[in-house]
Amino acid sequence: MGKELLNKISWVYIGYSVLILLVLAPLFYYVIDEINLEDVEESMILRRDEFVTYNLPEFKVEDIQKWNEFNRDVKIQPGNEVAKDTVFHTYFYDELADENEPYLVLYSPITIEGKEFTYFTRIDLVETPDLVMSFVWLFLLVIVLLLIGLFFITRYLSGRLWQPFFEILKQVEQFELDKTTTLSFPQSTIQEFNQLSRSLEKLINKNTLIYKSQSEFIENAAHELQTPLAIFKAKVEELIQREDVTEGQAKELSILSNNIVRFERLNKNLLLLSRIDNDTFEGKGKIQVNDIIARSIDFFEEQAAVKGIKVSVIGAESCDVMANIDLVEVMLHNLFMNAIRHNILDGDINIHIQSNSITFSNTGHQTPLEQEKLFRRFSKGNPSQKGTGLGLSIVKKIVDQNGWQIDYNYNNCLHAFTIKF
Amino acid sequence: MKILLIEDEIELAKSIQNYFTHNSFVCEWVDCKEAAIDKICCYDYDCILLDLMLPDGDGIEILKKLRSLNKTEGVIIISAKNGLDTRIEGFNEGADDFLVKPFHLSELMVRVQALIRRRQFSGISKVVFNEIEIDVFAKSVVVGENEIKLTKKEYALLLFLIANKGRVLSKSAIAEHLSGDMADMLDNFDFIYVHMGRLKSKLKAAGGNDYIKTVHGLGYKWING
Repeated sequence: MGKELLNKISWVYIGYSVLILLVLAPLFYYVIDEINLEDVEESMILRRDEFVTYNLPEFKVEDIQKWNEFNRDVKIQPGNEVAKDTVFHTYFYDELADENEPYLVLYSPITIEGKEFTYFTRIDLVETPDLVMSFVWLFLLVIVLLLIGLFFITRYLSGRLWQPFFEILKQVEQFELDKTTTLSFPQSTIQEFNQLSRSLEKLINKNTLIYKSQSEFIENAAHELQTPLAIFKAKVEELIQREDVTEGQAKELSILSNNIVRFERLNKNLLLLSRIDNDTFEGKGKIQVNDIIARSIDFFEEQAAVKGIKVSVIGAESCDVMANIDLVEVMLHNLFMNAIRHNILDGDINIHIQSNSITFSNTGHQTPLEQEKLFRRFSKGNPSQKGTGLGLSIVKKIVDQNGWQIDYNYNNCLHAFTIKF
Repeated sequence: MKILLIEDEIELAKSIQNYFTHNSFVCEWVDCKEAAIDKICCYDYDCILLDLMLPDGDGIEILKKLRSLNKTEGVIIISAKNGLDTRIEGFNEGADDFLVKPFHLSELMVRVQALIRRRQFSGISKVVFNEIEIDVFAKSVVVGENEIKLTKKEYALLLFLIANKGRVLSKSAIAEHLSGDMADMLDNFDFIYVHMGRLKSKLKAAGGNDYIKTVHGLGYKWING
């Protein structure tokens, strides 16, 4: 299981956003700090210029003491401390707050009544840790909002926008080539999804067509084989009538005759398989499984008797299914015959009928069969056996077509096939 | 007995014709619809064997023609087509039996004889072979003076053997005759030994001769008395 595409994209977005925010934060801080300093410096110079323009012309030396008393941030100091405007950083102890505050300070030489004085002004600066902290908080808030926003957007998108996609996915997952289900993909407002459903439709239609023509081919081929087979069979039957057949020839003829039977059976089973595929068996009705077993039990008991096999049918419940009777017969007969064919001498067959299932269990080889090969065409557990290798795939096909389920298990030396209706 | 075979596969037609001629039937053969219609217009047959896929048309049309002529011949369709639709159409148009290719000649023989018996209302309900007398309506068998009780399968077997008297019947043909479509599933025909053995001993116990001969490796044969 991978991650959802949308989640993946979201994580990339979020990762990128966080990275950018982290890289830009110091830069932001630096720029804001610079602008602030510049601004402070400008306002100090403006303040000085205003003083020089409005106050200085009438300023007297005796005013200095008063001025300094009432202005905390603009003072006139005696002496010529600087030759020109000087700006610098410094800290002043603030008694009220009991801490050192950062200030920007301007010293500027001025002349009052012909004497040289120094103009001093200062402006309180934002404390660096305060600024940094506010930046950290601000950026954290942005990141959190981004995360929350992306989370909800992702959920909304996967729920709504991707809905047609998941609808398509669901249908494709359920689609099976050999079943006659039709697909109807949703129309969506999103170009890519429409493109996807169009391509899928095209692909599926093409494959269905190929599959159909292939199973039709099998049907036609099997049909065409029947006439030469009929001639072959008739000729062999004529041959065995001859009085001058030697014992050796009789042996060969009997082998020929047996193989015609095999050939014929293969052909019939192929025809049956392709006809099930092509859905030629339409009429459905209520069928009693118990009845079918009861009707054929004589035939199978006779076959079982040749190998000394004991057949017992357990099942007081009646088992009704809705299906095509011919197919149900084929299915049950195949399973029954299978239980005889792969049995041992003097073995057992138990048929257990319940209200919605039937189980054929039989003695046989001491090893369980390979599950995945079981229903495959022409895969035989024992190549020397005379079966066509199609019996179980026919059973499986009928089971699938009716939406039933077939299970195989090996327990207590019994091979058991169970069909759940 | 005179039968008409309508079949376009020459080799198959020859085999059928041979088989029937050998059992004292007169078997006429045509290979197309036109010729078949000519024949049925002019002559009466005891039975018609009809292939559905003919080079110049559908065999069903011959059935329709027969009906329009008010002919009462029994018809057995012999066809490679095995769909339910085909069967139903055939029976609706008046066919009496349907045999799917490939079939055993012996099976065709027994079906033809059964059909002819059913069609003759003149009271011939008995198949007689020397001391053995079978009443096909009552399904009873009498050997000499003694009636014998046969199971369904033994009875079918006896009729099958006598219908094909003098011919070698392969085990597969016998098995298919006895089990019908179910025979498709069999991989050995050993079960017929049992029926054959019981039939033999019942006939013998009633004082009949042993007509059933085992043809080594091939099957069985009802030998002509």
